[in-house]
Amino acid sequence: MDEFFQNNGFLIVVMVQQTLLAMSLYYPLMAGQLSLASPGFYALGGYVAAIIGTVEYFSPWRDALGWGVFPLEWLIAGVMSALLAVIVGIPALRLKGIYLALATIAFVEIVRVTCLNLDITGGAIGIFGVPQLFESRWAYIWIFGPLLAVMLYFSYRLERSRVGRAFKAIREDELAADAMGINTTRYKVLSFVIGAVLAGIVGAMSAPFLNTWNARQGTFDASIAYLAYVLIGGGRSIWGPLLGGALLSALPEVLRPLKDSRLIINGLVLVFASIYLPQGLAGALGRLKLVFRRGSRPSGGGA
Amino acid sequence: MGTAQIIQNLLNGISIGSVYAIFALGYTLVFSILGIINFAHGAVFTLGAYFTYTLTVGQFGINGLLSGVSLDTQLPFAASIIVGSIFAGFVGVLLERLAFKPLRTRGADSLLALVSSLGVALVLVNVIQYLVGAEIYTFPQEVYGDIKPAIMFEVAGEIIVIRTVQVIIFAVCMVVLAILGYIISRTKAGKALQAVAENQITASLLGISVDRIILFTFFLSGFLGGLAGTLVGTSFGIAGPYFGVSYGLKGLAVIVLGGLGSIPGAVLGGMVIGLAEAFVPPDYSAYKEAVAFAFLFVVLLVRPQGLLGRSLIQKV
Repeated sequence: MDEFFQNNGFLIVVMVQQTLLAMSLYYPLMAGQLSLASPGFYALGGYVAAIIGTVEYFSPWRDALGWGVFPLEWLIAGVMSALLAVIVGIPALRLKGIYLALATIAFVEIVRVTCLNLDITGGAIGIFGVPQLFESRWAYIWIFGPLLAVMLYFSYRLERSRVGRAFKAIREDELAADAMGINTTRYKVLSFVIGAVLAGIVGAMSAPFLNTWNARQGTFDASIAYLAYVLIGGGRSIWGPLLGGALLSALPEVLRPLKDSRLIINGLVLVFASIYLPQGLAGALGRLKLVFRRGSRPSGGGA
Repeated sequence: MGTAQIIQNLLNGISIGSVYAIFALGYTLVFSILGIINFAHGAVFTLGAYFTYTLTVGQFGINGLLSGVSLDTQLPFAASIIVGSIFAGFVGVLLERLAFKPLRTRGADSLLALVSSLGVALVLVNVIQYLVGAEIYTFPQEVYGDIKPAIMFEVAGEIIVIRTVQVIIFAVCMVVLAILGYIISRTKAGKALQAVAENQITASLLGISVDRIILFTFFLSGFLGGLAGTLVGTSFGIAGPYFGVSYGLKGLAVIVLGGLGSIPGAVLGGMVIGLAEAFVPPDYSAYKEAVAFAFLFVVLLVRPQGLLGRSLIQKV
């Protein structure tokens, strides 16, 4: 068993990390907002951790706090993501559907090109030698795992709260939600901020995990990957991003024996999954459960 | 900035802008009919460049399945670019049948079309990589015939240099735009296309085969994308299977700037973004890649319907 985790530890941590990023895209979607901004905040969070971890100016902090500097990085990354999300979100969330998606793609690209050109972010080379929190890669499960657990509990509570119901009301019909006295702008921005904070914190945890950080961490490709996780997993419940993120992020690794053709297969999976699993995996499993229940209680179906 | 510099930038801008325009038209035609964005358009752009390269040069490098292969029959460049773009057009048709039609017939969420078209893009790009590797392919100098590499002339005592390729690209784009304009506004198929864009149900009641018009649109879109890819390839080389991605994203900025679904808008948007990039001061040239997205973001916030788009009427 130990050997299993030694060999596959990295992959498992990546699966959890990608699942968390899929969830960061799910929260805005809960309120009906298709935002692809997560990689921008993920990149920002990573740079916060990489800069605090390596720049000379912060060395007194690192000496004084020891490992305590890591939670501080998460906190700062979260706060900065929240601020940026409010600044970007208030104007951008007046847009709907594909227009919002395009605006957030533009946001991600602007963040990427800016990071590619600033000195503090290490330009095109990026930042190397980000201090590690743990010695082994597998040990990072002790930060990503609890974060996932916290986010699952948070999502569970959120769905049953006033805020969560407001999100869903906006998703189903924004005009009607507005008419019922829900402050739609506030809740839409809130959903956007929740996703941004999560992506920022995951970024700040990932920079030490990957040991290096550069502008390739937050790209359009990543936006699409997260969207694929959510839609193929199923966009109607938190189980969607969980299933989609874990399975699809493992897919390239599982297909590794196929070498060069693995990304071709990956692409085909995206095509066929979007065609044949309209409600996502979570939806398909839900239907399957329904079929089994009907099977065991035949009288239920006729009522 | 002196007069000569301004003229130089203007000429550079309209040349690349005209390529953005015909590329973005491929997006806009599909959007006008189906109301979706075909995210595989950037991959079709790449594919078009490789098709033309294969037809006219046909020599491959050291990576991929076709490594070391060199084809005996080479078409003249003018024929290759047309045939290559027609192939790209057929890929567009295939794309519609594979990634869009199954979703449309089921009435699925339009977000899924986004994912499925990206899946196709991933397949196309990696098939290219599988076949010919990730290396850079360049068209030989003489594809456009025996011409001087650059034209020089003098304005206000300063010399302006225009690469001949830029002039040819601009000319080809203008010819294509003229033909496309003719097809869309004068021919029966073009008028049917406009009718379908206006209202699919009414168009089908009037006896137009909506399905065929959709295929026709995807063919045109693929043709334009492939042609744009080849033109960029002759100017800057084909920088590997992923070289269409950044053009694909920029094309989105172009169509939003012009107005989603607006044909004159795509042309105007292409020109505006081409010129804006050309006028980025040399000190900030690294930020050139962000110009299109800054435009995209600002336009969406200030005027979401774009420069020439119709404003959306919200229906309850």
